[in-house]
Amino acid sequence: MTLTEMQGYAFFFFTILLVVILYGYILHLYRSEKKGERDYEKYGKMALDDELHDRPVEENPKATNDDKKE
Amino acid sequence: MQSSAALEYDYSVAKLYMWTAVIFGIVGMTIGVLIASQLAFPELNYLMGEYGTFSRLRPLHTNVVVYGFTISGIMASFYYSAQRVLKVSLAELPFINFLAKFQFVAYLIAATLLVLSLGMGITASKEYAQMEWPLDILIVVYWVIWGINMFAMIGARREKALYISMWYYIACFLGVAMLYLFNNMEVPTIFFSGGLGAWYHSVSMYAGTNDALVQWWWGHNAVAFVFTVPIIAMIYYFLPKESGQAVYSYKLSLLSFWGLMFVYLWAGGHHLLWSTVPDWMQTMGSIFSVVLILPSWGSAINMLLTMKGEWNQLTENPLIKFMVLASTFYMLSTLEGPIQAVKSVNAIAHFTDWIPGHVHDGVLGWVAFMVFAALMHMAPRAFKREIYSKSLLEAQFWIQTTGVVLYFTSMWIAGITQGMMWRAVDEYGNLMYSFIDTVSVLHPYYTIRAIGGLLYLIGVFMFAYNFFMTATAGRKLEQEPQFRSPMA
Amino acid sequence: MFHWLEKNPFLFSVGVFIVIAFAGLIEILPNFAEAARPIKGLKPYTVLELAGKEVYKKDNCIACHSQLIRPFKSETDRYGKYSLSGEYAYDRPFLWGSKRTGPDLHRVGNYRTPDWHANHMWDPKSVVPDSIMPAYKHQFKNVADLETAYAEAVTVKNVFNTPYGDEIQPGKEAYEKYLKEKALPEALEIAKKMKNKEVLEMVQKGQIPEIVAMIAYLDRLK
Repeated sequence: MTLTEMQGYAFFFFTILLVVILYGYILHLYRSEKKGERDYEKYGKMALDDELHDRPVEENPKATNDDKKE
Repeated sequence: MQSSAALEYDYSVAKLYMWTAVIFGIVGMTIGVLIASQLAFPELNYLMGEYGTFSRLRPLHTNVVVYGFTISGIMASFYYSAQRVLKVSLAELPFINFLAKFQFVAYLIAATLLVLSLGMGITASKEYAQMEWPLDILIVVYWVIWGINMFAMIGARREKALYISMWYYIACFLGVAMLYLFNNMEVPTIFFSGGLGAWYHSVSMYAGTNDALVQWWWGHNAVAFVFTVPIIAMIYYFLPKESGQAVYSYKLSLLSFWGLMFVYLWAGGHHLLWSTVPDWMQTMGSIFSVVLILPSWGSAINMLLTMKGEWNQLTENPLIKFMVLASTFYMLSTLEGPIQAVKSVNAIAHFTDWIPGHVHDGVLGWVAFMVFAALMHMAPRAFKREIYSKSLLEAQFWIQTTGVVLYFTSMWIAGITQGMMWRAVDEYGNLMYSFIDTVSVLHPYYTIRAIGGLLYLIGVFMFAYNFFMTATAGRKLEQEPQFRSPMA
Repeated sequence: MFHWLEKNPFLFSVGVFIVIAFAGLIEILPNFAEAARPIKGLKPYTVLELAGKEVYKKDNCIACHSQLIRPFKSETDRYGKYSLSGEYAYDRPFLWGSKRTGPDLHRVGNYRTPDWHANHMWDPKSVVPDSIMPAYKHQFKNVADLETAYAEAVTVKNVFNTPYGDEIQPGKEAYEKYLKEKALPEALEIAKKMKNKEVLEMVQKGQIPEIVAMIAYLDRLK
């Protein structure tokens, strides 16, 4: 088998693989949201409620802030 | 730790970069208009002796707009919006705040040296990587400090998840770091020759075809990681914030982010079609350029759909106008690019004015519009004043849009005309035109392009005036506006 | 990516880096073993030619001129044989350019004479009436930096094994010897072909103006 042939097969293989990964990923995103496991869209709020005193979408437990924000 | 009442976001670093963005914008684009005019009217080459020729000024133009104007805009946006989406103020991190200011000083020094050295003709001659090795080292230091600051801020964040903009800033940092280091590998000659010659001179680690490959791996991805990735970071923050609409689909943004990261780097080969790099790499470059439409349009469509149900804002708010047109131009140039990357099209388009045409509908329509919108969104918050003039912004928008359209249409025609003339043969198979024929024919298009550029530059001056007046004379604001930027 | 990655900045960055580095690994690295071989009979640039290349870089000719002839009949008819990878083996950096506001120069030495170049650089319109290229008169006055070019030759010889002879050695003495014995006679030959009295006088006095180095370089492009 020549190098070009091998590249041809590799090309075909990777095209299929990448398409499967792409669609698998899309499916994963939508399915987990439909089943109620995750809510991705809530993260979109991060840009809107971005004042220091706004409540984070998800608190970072490691944050070293001891000041009380209300 | 300060009490919560006093704690605010600290915009001091962002403000510094906002000013340099305005200044470098004026400088870079003025040089741009000058060199565009030189192509139409060659007498203009002799205004400054050896320092005023087109060839000497062109890298000054590109470097000042890329590393001056755009990087300033990016850094201003970063130091403004990263605080906000991470919910951590720089005022809480005094050392990082100091480091960020130090980074700014390093930036000013590097920028000044870059302008001086390019003016003197000291250059490594690789496009967008012209800096010689001492400057390269300075720039690496600058970039590393940025990384430290970014990750320190991330480490102190109150918001656990990183917002979309942060992904793109991280990618910008990593991508530029990797590519810049590899492309600028060079050997300073003074250390290997027993101290002979200019101390700043160096030779590239790579020769010929390899050098070309690494250079366009960089050159193309400098476009990716300076003109695309951080600008997407900006629009993902500023458009939702200015419009008060959450991003249309977070899932789509995930998909287009990882898609863009994976695909973009492969496409560099499309700058070297029909050259002496191996065929399979050229083909890969072509294919991935076309695939690249997907993630690019993913982001752009996501942005446009964010405005769903709120399109009335487009008529009411000039900043929304800028950003919506920016994403539209982003779609245009990410479609145009892949078309040019098709081998048969590239055979005509390469080496012609269609390429600068393509670059400029991207940078003028997408990058610079986004930077203007971001600066004007930040100004009322950073200076606590109302935007000085809405009508001036409106006028700027229309003047600049006209300028961009004149620019790219004239360059499309010029490029295709010249590309076709180079290959035109008569009935006996002889070339029909001498080279100079294909230059003379471009005069009207070069003139139109210069006019388009001039219109755009006028817009930049209007912007600079508006920005200056906002910072100094705008009506004082009692409290920070939440969404829509107030303007008079 | 999977909900948790966006919350782990470190893993996230590692992920991004792997994804972006992937393409380079597959696309860029393999070529390095292959492409660096010079074609048969290719000689490294002389120091004078290297100095000319520095002038070419300094005045940034690359902004408007390419050095890459693509394999199309319209290009080979106009410029000569299409370019081969091995011809660039000693080009550090490569100077292919990306825009042809002026014609390609990869084989310009085949069809232009030193005299033509001299006239053209002094006043392009004198030989091409419609030319939009600026004149580069300063190249007739500025002295070329032979020392830096020599330093470059020494560096590529020692670091990259570029096949230079024994006359290329580190140090000031070796340089001055080379300048007197090799570079000046080479420059003088070109200056004689240029029909420009001042330039000839300068070279005879031991100073090489940029234009002479530049023409040496352009003449070498074949």
